[in-house]
Parts: sequence; structure tokens; C-alpha cells
Amino acid sequence: MTFQTRRRISMSVKYVMIILWSALVLFPIYEMVSTSLKLPVDAFKLPPDWIFWPTLVNYREVLFESNFLRFFTNSVLVAVISTTVSVGFGAFAAYSLARWNFGGKKTAIAGILLLRMIPEVILAVPVFTMFNRIGFIDSGRTGLILVYIALNLPFNIWVLRTFIMELPYELEESAIIDGCTDVRVFTSIVLPLIGPGLAVASIFTFRIAWNEFILSLVLTNRFTRTLPVAVSLFLTDTGTEWGKITAIATVIALPAFIFTFAAAKSIIMGLTAGAVKG
Amino acid sequence: MRKSSVPGRKNSAYLFLAPAASILLLVLMVPIFNTLRLSFFEWTMRALTEPPTFVGFRNFRELFGSANFQESIRVTITFSLSVVAIELLLGTVLALLLEGEFKGMRLFRTLFVLPIMIAPVVVGIMWRFMYHPSYGKINYFLGFIGLGPYGWLSNPDLALRSVIIADIWQWTPFVFLLVLAGLQGVPKDVMEAATVDGTNYFQTLLYIKLPFISAVLGITAVLRLIDSFRSLVVIYNMTGGGPGVSTEIMSIHLFKTAFTSQRLGLASAVAVILLLLIAVFASVFIRNSLKEERR
Amino acid sequence: MNVRKLVSIAILLTAAAALVFSGGAAEQVEVEVDPPGGREFDWRQYEGTTLVFNFPNHVHYNAMLEAGVLEDFEALTGINVEADRMQYMNMHDAQVLEMSKPVGDYDLISMVVMWKAEYALGGMIRPLESFFDDPSLTLPDYRFDDLVPAYVEVTGIAGGENIYKDGPGAQLYGVPFGSETSFMIYRTDVFEEHGLEVPETYDELTETARYIYEEVPDTYGLTMRAASGHHATHAWLLHASPYGATVFDENWEPAFTSPESIETIEFMKKMIDYGPPGMEGFTQDEEFAAFLQGDAAIYLDASVFAGPAKDPAQSRVHDRIGFALHPRQRTPLAETGGFGIAIPENSQNAEAAFLLMQYLTLPEVEREIVLAGGAPFRMSTVEDSSLYDEYPEFEVLADQLEHANPDWRPIIPEWGDINNMLGIAINQALTGAKTPEQAMEDVYEPIRNVMIRAGYID
Repeated sequence: MTFQTRRRISMSVKYVMIILWSALVLFPIYEMVSTSLKLPVDAFKLPPDWIFWPTLVNYREVLFESNFLRFFTNSVLVAVISTTVSVGFGAFAAYSLARWNFGGKKTAIAGILLLRMIPEVILAVPVFTMFNRIGFIDSGRTGLILVYIALNLPFNIWVLRTFIMELPYELEESAIIDGCTDVRVFTSIVLPLIGPGLAVASIFTFRIAWNEFILSLVLTNRFTRTLPVAVSLFLTDTGTEWGKITAIATVIALPAFIFTFAAAKSIIMGLTAGAVKG
Repeated sequence: MRKSSVPGRKNSAYLFLAPAASILLLVLMVPIFNTLRLSFFEWTMRALTEPPTFVGFRNFRELFGSANFQESIRVTITFSLSVVAIELLLGTVLALLLEGEFKGMRLFRTLFVLPIMIAPVVVGIMWRFMYHPSYGKINYFLGFIGLGPYGWLSNPDLALRSVIIADIWQWTPFVFLLVLAGLQGVPKDVMEAATVDGTNYFQTLLYIKLPFISAVLGITAVLRLIDSFRSLVVIYNMTGGGPGVSTEIMSIHLFKTAFTSQRLGLASAVAVILLLLIAVFASVFIRNSLKEERR
Repeated sequence: MNVRKLVSIAILLTAAAALVFSGGAAEQVEVEVDPPGGREFDWRQYEGTTLVFNFPNHVHYNAMLEAGVLEDFEALTGINVEADRMQYMNMHDAQVLEMSKPVGDYDLISMVVMWKAEYALGGMIRPLESFFDDPSLTLPDYRFDDLVPAYVEVTGIAGGENIYKDGPGAQLYGVPFGSETSFMIYRTDVFEEHGLEVPETYDELTETARYIYEEVPDTYGLTMRAASGHHATHAWLLHASPYGATVFDENWEPAFTSPESIETIEFMKKMIDYGPPGMEGFTQDEEFAAFLQGDAAIYLDASVFAGPAKDPAQSRVHDRIGFALHPRQRTPLAETGGFGIAIPENSQNAEAAFLLMQYLTLPEVEREIVLAGGAPFRMSTVEDSSLYDEYPEFEVLADQLEHANPDWRPIIPEWGDINNMLGIAINQALTGAKTPEQAMEDVYEPIRNVMIRAGYID
């Protein structure tokens, strides 16, 4: 066997494997999306219609029949606000940890790493009772936004700090000598240079805030409920509802699709941050 | 880090740190402290306006005497060790087989990111649908080779395995991507030297690649382990912890104790144990990260 | 656009449509209709209020939506009703969260009867007596006595010495809405084709289920819920009542290790053997689906299922079903349960919520909901023989209600925990993880401890 044929065989094996694996990865997603595009009577048909005329009837019912729009708006608001604030505050803190030495810095770094590991469910009881006392739960989404900001800060600080530390210090140095304030140096020199880092942080914060379930379940009411909770409260195995459930689920998964295809590189960077030296 | 501070630059470290620190303190640290405190109290959702009653270590004694809690620890350990071991093995093997640039690789790598990004609620719903005893596609496909139908989520002997499969589906790509990134760090000249020396594939694998990615594998394992302790939503939406308590990992046990049985003190005691467990593994990760710090 | 404007537009449109379709016959456009509940009543006293109604995704409530009675109520009263519909297994936690806040979000809740004592004794819902005593709030034509008495007791009465039963100190906290008893639905085609008799006892039922499983191709015996937790407990209680088994004895000592109880579980195990595959994990939805799809020939559970079973859009067997009494064994007692509606203590609009509560349970409105597939809860409907042609199940229901047992399940506030523990144990017995004796023995002490902690026994 020549080197050429051996190479060709190994390449074909590779492709066969990768296509098989992709099929396994994609099939559950395909199931969800296709069920959402089928008429309720066809959703359970076995053998299934692999080729069918898609219908938007489930989406229409979900959109107009339920409080979907309200929950959708809540999800968008909560995700956008908490992402902006968490990434912003995170960048500030990251700058602090990247550029200065101060008492307690090591403790702070260790603390941030530890807080990154906190399971959301642990916060459910204390945060619910605390917010209940202060009245945050009645006042709307504030509480939920605060929790999402906090939950994402550790990751954002960590990721942005690595990005800042890779910047040459000379630029900031000359600006300081020119008399710029620290805040000015940060906003006009550092921030624009860590764009990719901000993208990573934003995607991951948005992902948590958009997807999070358990705290939203506990902290929201029917006005402030977000989409994951709404769909879960609706989850039954009754045949006719599956179309609607998969339709909402598809809407929830939409940002994931978009981010994945628009910014896979940033996501991989974020996933590997802290585990693999880039 | 470069130690350079501009001479005379005033130290604004605390100013920059303040907003993040205050939120972390208020929303994460105070509640965690309250959890520690509450674990020594009896408190019910029905009487939130009344102060909690101090009961000493009673909650912990009750937990360790409770068959359901012991079972949930056993389920957690089985779940976590299984998913981490299988994902690590699968992810590494796939990364080794698929490393290197070839046509379409970028597209595939993008596809593998998808499961990680999709909401756990949605993952739970998808798999619940796939596992449906009568209409699920898994039983349908197995029917072609004469197997089944199985009650994937209803049979207590199968349910935990079904839940593990869903987790493997979602997180094997994560291990794959991490190992792939680690493999890209193998110095080219070392590999070239090895090829020239006529070492075969398994020798390079054993003596060059594996040692080189062992650190990445270790960290990945710890990260996945901690994440598996934290996972709840996928299982919650697939089985709710059932049948019986066969998929009731500790986080679900905690949630049910708090909001179904409405025993907030007891739930806090579960939280404390879960926190301790995570802290042990997190300290490994943190020590490693701080070591990088010193370099 | 406000609701009234919408409503008036809707009325105009309907009127216009009526004109068009009736070929212009003027007498078709009825403007003056007597408002339900009596003419003199002031329906608009809470105009402009917004009420939040939390209810389940459940046959009866879906019929309520279908019948459009919430919109009718809005038009009649000028009160805006916000529906918060969810899966009923999720409702308890959501309601408890909401009702433990200083100001609650819900004005009217639908509660599964097993939560009523927990809510009533926890001060989470309001006693209704003061509302019913207030003439400005109570409809003259409400006819409270027409509500099925067993349903009223099981859904509404709580808080006295007997905790969940009528007795000294007990008060009315809710009214039935989506309440049910149990009866049997069977496939007439299967029974006729194989010359089967409708089983009247559990022994006959066991035999019939076995026969169908063994002799009828692609058809299984009884469909039953059995999923771990609430569903398994529900199924066990349903069959325990005729077998004469109870959860506690008269002194609150656990009694579920009794021979009668074990016998009940043995019966259920046989049903699993003769039932559709995977039945040990069935929730109510799957229990229903197995009958609707034609997989199982017998259904024996909540009577609300008559609606979906007869609905051609949901049921493949809608034209081949018959109804029969719940089989007897030692006793003829059937379950009572389902849902009642109640007003949370922390509701800010309790009076307006009371109007909605009455409106939904008015005789005329009940009729509309029943015609849309809901479950009847007034004697006048169940006993109306003019309905029997279209609703043959009512005839069976009227007889069944004589044996409806409001005390088939001990709905003490601690029931949630016990329900869960028992349901796990029963499911373990059904799946064969443990023997019935072992499974029940293993939860004896834990459940006894719950009762000790709550102060029933020492």
C-alpha cells in the first residue's frame, strides 16, 4: 500500500466518523425543530414523514395565544441588561487585577475562581428569602438581573484579565504620562483593544442569562417570568402540546444557533479559557 | 504580570474593583453566608415572616440518617463519575482521531459547539421527546433491530443511564474542543523529529501527545466534575429526579427539599454539603490557576 | 385599546355576522339578555380591576377556555382576567412561592384538593363564609346546594378538628371546579368482539385485563398511571379504596403495610404486566394517551377523562367507548378529587376574585363549560336525563357519585411529603426493585417520623 492510498483511507475514515458524529449531535436538534414545524397530528406519526411541508401553525399559536411576547420581552431585557452591566463591571475589575498590586489581591483572585464554581441552586433559598424581604420580587426583574450580573462576574473578570494582561503596557504608560486619568486610560485605550475579549464575555453572559432556569423559576412571577421557565411550566407529555413546546424551545435555542454560527471562534476561546493556555 | 507601575501612578485598584466586588458581596457572598447560618435552623416557606428556630446540628443528623439523601449522594457520584469518565475518553479519542487541518474541519467544529450553547431546559425537552416510550425516535430506531421498546425515563434501572447519555451528548464536544486546543500546542518540531526518527503513531501518541495534554485533561476533568455537581436543569426537566429517587442528584434533592417540602433549613444543610464537595475539587483548579499566575 | 372597547367591537361584529348569516332576520339579534346569576345583581362593582387566575393545563380548564367564559365574564363585569396557565405538577411550588410573599400575584387559584389543608391551615387561602354572607357579593341565583356535596366537601372544607374533613371548626375554603370521581371507560368493540362482560369487581377486572393482554392482538388491558411519586400514590389510593386499605388508621398510625394494602399493590403489579409497555413510568398524560391511541382497552381513573375520550380530535377510539361504574371489591368506594378554586390570603382583589369564582361555577356557566368538554360538578347537570343521549357518562356518574368517598385520601398539610414518599415506595414495588412488603415496610418509619414531627402521634 502506498503512502498515498493509506492517507486516502485514513482521510475517508475520518470523514465517515465525523459525519456520523455530526449526525448524532444534530439529530435531537433536528427533532425539536422539525416537530415545531409539523401539524400536531403529524408530530407523533410513526414512521415519521422525513419530508413534509413545514407549517408555522405552532409558532402562530404560541405567539398569539399565550403570554409568549411578555416572556420573550422579559428574557431579552434581563439578558441584555445583565450582559451589559456584568461585562462592564467585569472589565473594570479585570483592569484592576491586571494592572495593580494591592493587599488581598491573591485572595481576591482565589475568591473569584471559587465563586465561579457556585451552583445556582444553592442561591435559590437565600436569595429568594432576601429578595422577598426587600421586595425585589414584586418590583420586577431587578432581582433576577442582579443575580445574573453577579453569577457572570467571576468568568468575565477572569477572561478579560487575560486579555488585558496580553496588551503591551507602553500605550497606557505614555497616556498616563500625558496626564490622562485612570478611567480615561481604561475607556479610551484598553477597552477598544480587548474587543475580542468583550465579545467572549458578552456571549457567555448572555448565554447564562438567557438560558438560566432554576433561579428564574424561584424569583419571577407571571409578569417577570422568562422563557425557559415559561416553557417548563407548560411541559406536559400531552400529544397536542408538543408542537407548541418545541416551538418555544426552538425560539429559546435561536440565540445559541446565531452565536454558534457567527462566533464559533470566540465561543471556543471562552470555553478553553482557564483550561488551556491559548 | 509585568510589575511595572508608572512611577507616581496612583493606585486606583480598589476603585476599579469596587462595583464588581460590591455586587459579588451582596448577591453571592451574603447569601452563601446565610445558607451556612440557615443550615442550623428550622424554617418553613409557610411561615417566612416568623423567625427561623435554632436547632443546632439536627438538620445534618436528619440528612445523614435519611435514606433518600444517602441515595442522592450515591446517584450524584454515579452520575458525575460516569459522565466525566465517558466524556473524557470519548472526547480525547475523537480529538486524537480528528486533529489536524482538513477540509470542512471548521464547519464541524462549529457544529460541535451547538449542544454546549443550547439552554439546558431545551436539552431536557429535546431528550424527553426523544426518549418518549411510544413516540420517541430512540425506541423507533431500536425497533428496526428488534430491540425495545424501553421505558428510558420511567424504568429506574435505565433512567440514570438515559440522563447520563443526554449529558454526554451535550458535553463531549466540550472535552473534544479542549483536548484539540491542547493538541495544537504540541510543538511542531518535536512531532517532525519524531516522524523523521520513524516512530509509529502509537509511540508518538503515548510518549509525546498524551504527556503533553495530560495537564489539559486534568483540568478538563476537574471542570467537568464540578459542572456535573452543578447540573440540575436538564435532569429536572427530563425526570424531575424520578422515577423514585433514581435520578435525584443532590442539587435536585436540595431544590425539592426547599420548595416542595418547604423545609428551608434542611435544604440549606444540603447546600452546605454540596458546597463543601465543590470546594474540594475547586481548590485543585484554583491551585493550578494560581500556579499559572506566578509564572 | 381597552377591553370594553374591544368587547363592544366584538359584540358589534357578532351582531353584524348574525344579521348576515340569518338573512337579515331581525329577531335573531338578541340584545337584552338576562345576565346570569339574577337580574338585580351589581356585576360591575369591580369594573377596571385586573384579576390573575392561576390554573392548570387540564381537561376541565381547557374546556373553560374553549367555552370563552372568561371573556364573557370580562364583558359582563368590566374586570380584566389574566390567565396564568401551567402544568399542574408545577403549580404547587409556584403557588407556595407566590403565597409566601407579602403581596401575592394571584387572586384566584386552582388547587388540587390535596393541597387544601396545607393552604388552609397555613393561612394561605381565605375562608369563604364572609363572602357568601355578604348579599352585595353573593348572587341570588347561585344555588350552592346544587353543587355536588361530595365534591364540595373534598375540594372546599378544611381547617377543623378533622383537618381535611367536615367537622367542628371546619370552614369552606373553596368550591369545586374541575372536580372528579372515578369510573371506568372501556372499548365496546373489544368487549363485544371477544364476548367480554364489563367487570364489576376487581377480581373480574384482573381476569378481563389478563384476557385482553393475552388474546387481543396489539391491545393491552388497563391503562394506569404509575410514575414514581404522586402518580403512583394516586393509582394506589384509587384501588386501595375498594380493597379497603388506608394510609393511616383512626389514630394516625401508618396502616399501609396492611394485607389489604399489599393486595392492592399485587393487583397493580398484575395490571403493569397486562398493560402497555413502560406503564410503570406513566404519568397521567401517558395513561390517557394509551387509551386515546387505542393501545389499552380499559381506563379506570378520574371521570374528567370522558371529555378527551369522546373528542374525535384527540381520540382514535371516540366512537367505540362505553362507561361503567368503578368496580367494587370489599367496598364500592370511588375516589373524589381533582381541582377546586380558592382565593389566596395575600390577594389584593379578593372581592372581585369572589365574583369570578361564583361566575365560573354558576349553573348556566357550568353548562357551557360542560358542553365544551368540561367536568360537571352540579347535581342538576349530572341528573339531567335530557343530556344522557349525548353524555352517556353522566348517567354512570350520577350513580357513581353515591359512592364517591371524600375521605379516600388523608389530605393533611403534611400530605405532600407523605404522598411523595409513598409514591416512591409504591413505584419501587411496581418496578420490582423491592417486594411490595419490603417497599412499604421501608417507608413505614420515615412516614411515622413525619407524623411524629407534626405532632399527630408520639
